[in-house]
Amino acid sequence: MKLSITNINKTYPNGVKALDNINLEIETGMFGMLGPNGAGKSTLMRTISALQDPDQGSIQLGDIDVIKQKSELRKVLGYLPQDFGFYPKVTAVDQLTHFAVLKGVSNKQERKEIVHALLNQTNLFEARNRYISTFSGGMRQRFGIAQALLGNPKLVIVDEPTAGLDPLERNRFHNLLSEIGENIIVILSTHIVDDVKDLCARMVIMNHGKILMEGTPSKAIDTVKEKVWSKLIEKQELNDYKKNFVVISSKVADGKLLLHVYADENPGEQFEQIIPNLEDVYFSLITKN
Amino acid sequence: MFKELFLFEIRQGFKKISTYIFFSIFFFMYFLIGLISSGVIPIESGDSNVYVNSAAAVASTLIGLNQNIFGLMNSLMLVSLMANAIQKDYEYNMHPLLYTKPISKSGYYFGRFSGAFTITLFVFSAQVIGYLIACLLGTGNDQVGPFHLYNFIEPFLIFTLPNVLILGIIFFVLTTFTRSTLSAYFFCIVLLVLRSITDTITADIDNKTLAAILEPFGHEAFQKVTQYWTPDEQNTLLIPFNAEILVNRLLWLGIALGITIIGYLRFEFSQFLNPISFLKRKTKTSVVPTVASHSLSELPEVQTDFSAKSRWKQLFYLAGFEFKKMVKNSFFLIICAVGIGAMFIIYRFSGVIFGTETYPVTYNILEIAGSLFQFFILILIIFFSGTIIWRDRDNKENELIATTPVSDYQLFFSKYIALIYVTILLLFAIMVTGIAIQFTRGFNDIHILEYIKTLFGFRLLGLSITIGLCLALQVLTPNKYLGFFLSVFFTLILTIAFNLLKWTNPLYQFNSSGPVMGYSDMNGYGHMIFSFLILKTYWLAIVISIALIAIRFFPRGKETSLRARFSLSRFSIPKSAKLVFWCSIIVACGMGSFIYYNIKVLNKFRTAKQEKELLVDFEKKYKKYQCTLQPRIVESKVDVAIFPYERSIHVKGFYILKNKHNVSIDSVILNYNSEQDYKELAVAAPNIIVFDDTELGFKLVKLSTPLAPGDSIKLNFEFEDAPHGFKSKNARTTIVYNGTFINNSIFPLVGYSDKFELNSNKERKSYGLKEKPRMAPVNDSLARMNNYLSGDADWIRFETIVSTSPDQIAIAPGYLQKEWTENGRRYFHYKMDCTILNFYSFISARYEVKRDKWIDPLHPDKPVEIEIYYHKEHTYNLDRMIRSIKSSLSYYTKNFSPYQHKQVRIIEFPRYNAFAQSFPNTIPYSESIGFIAKVDDKNPESIDYPFYVTAHEVAHQWWGHQVIGGNVQGSTLMCETLSQYSALMVMEKEYGKAAMKKFLRYEMDTYLQQRTLEGKKELPLMLCENQQYIHYNKGSVVMYALKDYIGEDVLNNALKKYIQKNAFQQPPYTNSVEFVNALKEVTPEHLKYIITDMFETITIYENYVKALSYKKTAHGKYIVSLTLGCAKFKSDSIGKSIPVNTNDYVDIGIFALQNAKDGNTEKELLLYKFKMDQPEKTVEFMVDEKPFKAGIDPYCKLIDRNPDNNTCEFGKTPGHAELGAGIKKEPVKKKK
Repeated sequence: MKLSITNINKTYPNGVKALDNINLEIETGMFGMLGPNGAGKSTLMRTISALQDPDQGSIQLGDIDVIKQKSELRKVLGYLPQDFGFYPKVTAVDQLTHFAVLKGVSNKQERKEIVHALLNQTNLFEARNRYISTFSGGMRQRFGIAQALLGNPKLVIVDEPTAGLDPLERNRFHNLLSEIGENIIVILSTHIVDDVKDLCARMVIMNHGKILMEGTPSKAIDTVKEKVWSKLIEKQELNDYKKNFVVISSKVADGKLLLHVYADENPGEQFEQIIPNLEDVYFSLITKN
Repeated sequence: MFKELFLFEIRQGFKKISTYIFFSIFFFMYFLIGLISSGVIPIESGDSNVYVNSAAAVASTLIGLNQNIFGLMNSLMLVSLMANAIQKDYEYNMHPLLYTKPISKSGYYFGRFSGAFTITLFVFSAQVIGYLIACLLGTGNDQVGPFHLYNFIEPFLIFTLPNVLILGIIFFVLTTFTRSTLSAYFFCIVLLVLRSITDTITADIDNKTLAAILEPFGHEAFQKVTQYWTPDEQNTLLIPFNAEILVNRLLWLGIALGITIIGYLRFEFSQFLNPISFLKRKTKTSVVPTVASHSLSELPEVQTDFSAKSRWKQLFYLAGFEFKKMVKNSFFLIICAVGIGAMFIIYRFSGVIFGTETYPVTYNILEIAGSLFQFFILILIIFFSGTIIWRDRDNKENELIATTPVSDYQLFFSKYIALIYVTILLLFAIMVTGIAIQFTRGFNDIHILEYIKTLFGFRLLGLSITIGLCLALQVLTPNKYLGFFLSVFFTLILTIAFNLLKWTNPLYQFNSSGPVMGYSDMNGYGHMIFSFLILKTYWLAIVISIALIAIRFFPRGKETSLRARFSLSRFSIPKSAKLVFWCSIIVACGMGSFIYYNIKVLNKFRTAKQEKELLVDFEKKYKKYQCTLQPRIVESKVDVAIFPYERSIHVKGFYILKNKHNVSIDSVILNYNSEQDYKELAVAAPNIIVFDDTELGFKLVKLSTPLAPGDSIKLNFEFEDAPHGFKSKNARTTIVYNGTFINNSIFPLVGYSDKFELNSNKERKSYGLKEKPRMAPVNDSLARMNNYLSGDADWIRFETIVSTSPDQIAIAPGYLQKEWTENGRRYFHYKMDCTILNFYSFISARYEVKRDKWIDPLHPDKPVEIEIYYHKEHTYNLDRMIRSIKSSLSYYTKNFSPYQHKQVRIIEFPRYNAFAQSFPNTIPYSESIGFIAKVDDKNPESIDYPFYVTAHEVAHQWWGHQVIGGNVQGSTLMCETLSQYSALMVMEKEYGKAAMKKFLRYEMDTYLQQRTLEGKKELPLMLCENQQYIHYNKGSVVMYALKDYIGEDVLNNALKKYIQKNAFQQPPYTNSVEFVNALKEVTPEHLKYIITDMFETITIYENYVKALSYKKTAHGKYIVSLTLGCAKFKSDSIGKSIPVNTNDYVDIGIFALQNAKDGNTEKELLLYKFKMDQPEKTVEFMVDEKPFKAGIDPYCKLIDRNPDNNTCEFGKTPGHAELGAGIKKEPVKKKK
């Protein structure tokens, strides 16, 4: 099973070009999609999920033409949108059963089993008779993943699932995602570098509707190997440095600023070479574009 | 602080587009209404004496459009304008920012409130502005009077302003405290119920004052104050600030003020974190998640099934899910509870005739109580269609649902089915409530099947169509609220507008039902089922195809624009959907054509306008023959074959026409119904047809040999009257499956009849016809050559053979000669042994018969047969009717003259008409009046109206069938008024004087109210032009008073003499002048003025107590001192009153309180006719017991617009006398 995205374009009525000629081949396994807010990730996710039609281009999941065979796609799709909610005054078990029916799990016994198993799996079993509206953010996201995993999906799309979660919950969520088998496609869109670093075998970095980089996280790091330099500076010096160097990030540390700059050669001025991480790749790409 | 917040709120309000939308909705609505009523758009056709721009007219327009659906619309607008003034800060999460600023509570609370209130007032001012401009445009039309700005400002200040304030405060406080507009919306429904209840409780005359004070919008108070305003008063007076209006307005402003203050005191900025909730919910403690124990790889394998069967299962599962979500809603439960409660309350007060209840037969429950509940269902449908179409999006669950493998069709139709479930549940609630009402009233004759058929057959079908449209509209609209508005517009407003414009074609009247007739116990649903089903199929097919188009735009996923949604769904249309769509289109077209064929081809579809044009055409072409001398019918012999189950009749027979003039006649004019199929209509003598207008049904025949004076000629006719398919409206209710009732008006007429001419002079003018008096003057000697029932006959011989289906009995005037069965039909031969008026009927139904006899003590050898033909279940009041017949025969034969027939028959007919009518020895009597009346014998005020109606109809055998006036003004005095009088006397004998009091109060109330609606001229009783409020209602009061003044025996002797002189007379017929002269002859000189006051002029009194007190004497007696007033007015034809001097005899009464078993009753200590020769007089009387109450004209014998202040209890302050307001003492300066 392979997801092929070919020449996808999408311009919104207000003139924003959300997707600019996207081409991607996604194999089974966890696929990360990294980009800042407004990069076009959600538009791409929704287009793959057949919630929107692209202006141009085609999307193929195995034998399924996503644009023309929307109902075929939906049979094998698990989707967790960025912004979602649930009916008020419905318990977790009822809501999940509801989704199970919608996903075509028609056998009552099977439905009960899968619902219980998923609630167990997402640590929500004891909260199953509570209204979802009373859930915490982390519980809601776990519940969201539970519904996405219903009905043997071949393609699971999760859109910014960890935004706003505390570190503990994010950890839990990562564990959960990592459990999803290797033989289905999982697309994880996020603006948090660690999500991708920890979970994804392959990834892209997106901004302004374009794909800036594609590959594995380690390959990505290779692209900036020996090119990232750091230095502690005074805060008021930042503007000068910005004029003279390609500043990819600046962080406050001990009342001073820790500057990361990108340079093929040693920029001098007491900059030290550091071993880059994925974040440096991400910031350098975003800054350069 | 207040100022800044206030101004900010106002600036915001005027920036919002919705403010202007609401303003324009009101403006155009009232502008349109104004254009119609001021005659700029000429639709209103009746004549009228009132101006549409008087203060009273403006007020009643403003108030009137605050009722029912319009009231609901106003409330909803108010909610959206005012409820949110503080709530919006929470909605948009502004409150943490605002409440931490240094603003004062009062500045914030009142600033926000007054800002929103000002904007709302601006919006609502559009009503009066729209109406005002429309009235200005109509200046110069008859119905528009001189313009006065204050006529518009005053009603706005008295009604609109306080109403907006009261409701605004309630909505504002409710929403602010519950932090949800739902409670405000709920309150709208409560208001709707409140309005309906106050409307129905005023059916009982005793509740009017209470309702006037309690009803929150001043509607009932306004009604109460202006109920007796004559056209002149309506045109010239401003709304008075008198007791009812003042108390009502103050009460509700006080309530509003109280709510504001409580609201203000209870309001805290921290409040927002803890909204007040009506339903406390248990909060469950949160559970700390434990660590996962399994791996995802251990998830059980599941089968997913997308077969057709599974999809159907999904559909019904989803429907069930949606259904549960809707009915678990507290809004739903409250509405149900309110609906059930309202049904009980409304049932208690409706169906009341003269304060007497009817039995809660099933159709009564369904129609009276169920109709309000059904309105609730409609509101719930509109509300829920929005909620369930938008629920996924409102809860942000839409993307989750959209990516599951359910189709748009499943999603849409599951909601459709769910709403049908909800409707079924609500209809079931109606049924259970209805049955509960029946049981609690001790009524056990419950028709479950009728409930099921009506509710789950007819109503459900109609509501399903509405549901489909509302859902489709919600799918197509960009927001829920626009969806609500469009739903209300298409399902309610458009229908009202079409009706207003008289566009009645069922092909474009949404959800039309075709010709309808109510359910009758006798005839069931009758023959409307077929056309009903055809029309509903037509609309259902249309709605299904609209729904299938709407589904193409189903809001799946993120797209909001319609075009994108349409394109998104282009690859997901199943073949079956296309098939169903085209099938629906074909069915809609097929049914549409079939309906068209029925209403336009088989029947002539005419709009109201076309129908009028036909009448105009008829008058213009043939009026010239009105004076052509014609032979008159002296005998009618007809065979009438009734085919109830084909709903047709076949008539074959002849008239004998006699030349009663002293010149010979050479032509015969025949006027017939052109929709009947005539096989023969010809004089049996050599003749030439000069012309035969088959469209208008007018035929002129020239006799080869003129008919010499005194000679006779035979007119043969034969026709068939059968239905062709169905018509667009007006179900024909005369010939039905069970309960056919026709009279000879469907037979051909001889000569030109002016009965069919247009009556409204306004319309006549617009068609270029001359103004026409409603009736000929009382002394018109030419008009008196006809009686007012028939223009082509005097007294005729009558014989008939009526046949019907073998299970039915057919009845016609006359005595049964023979009955037989032949060729599967049942025949009845009736023959009358004396001459009768040309007025006879034919009736056929499946009857039970109850028989009795009345034996005349003077002629015990000639008993009068009494027969009641009734529907088998309607046995409740048969004995009352028989008793009434017997009492009537006794009283009338003793006091008036012998009964001319040997038999009295009462025959029940279906409730399509609510009257009883007297034909010779035959009284058809509607099932709805009397047969199901529930007379409470224990309550002395409960009026036994089956008894009364029967007595009235029997009296017509004398007044109408012995004496009949000419076809001139005032003749109904000798027919209807005297029948009322006769019935009153029989009732008084049976039930005593006390029982008359409430009856006469109703009669007086009806007279005083109806005269305010007079469109032409109010006339004195003796010149009455068939005006029911005069000859029935005023007549009762006047005759009862006359009897009181001159004595029953004296009056009856005069009547006896009058009958002797005029019974069965040949033309010229008697008139009211002769009758009033007969009364004058027996009236003593000092009372002659009452004949003038009561019969010859319109006289109104204002009798009142000014002061009263008593002293106990040493001998244990009581000296009562009374100051009494008596003002007397003469009124002209539009109710302009002029005070006249009083020199009249009026009752003075003093009453004591008497202990009786069932509470205290009043005992008469003194009743004395006192001459009031001054406007106010102080008098003293001595009585034996302790007086409790005293006054002038305590029994309200004289016509008085304020009967309540006639008496007063000792120790209380006498009521206010209205000598100025309403009736002006001195001519007030005429407004320019």
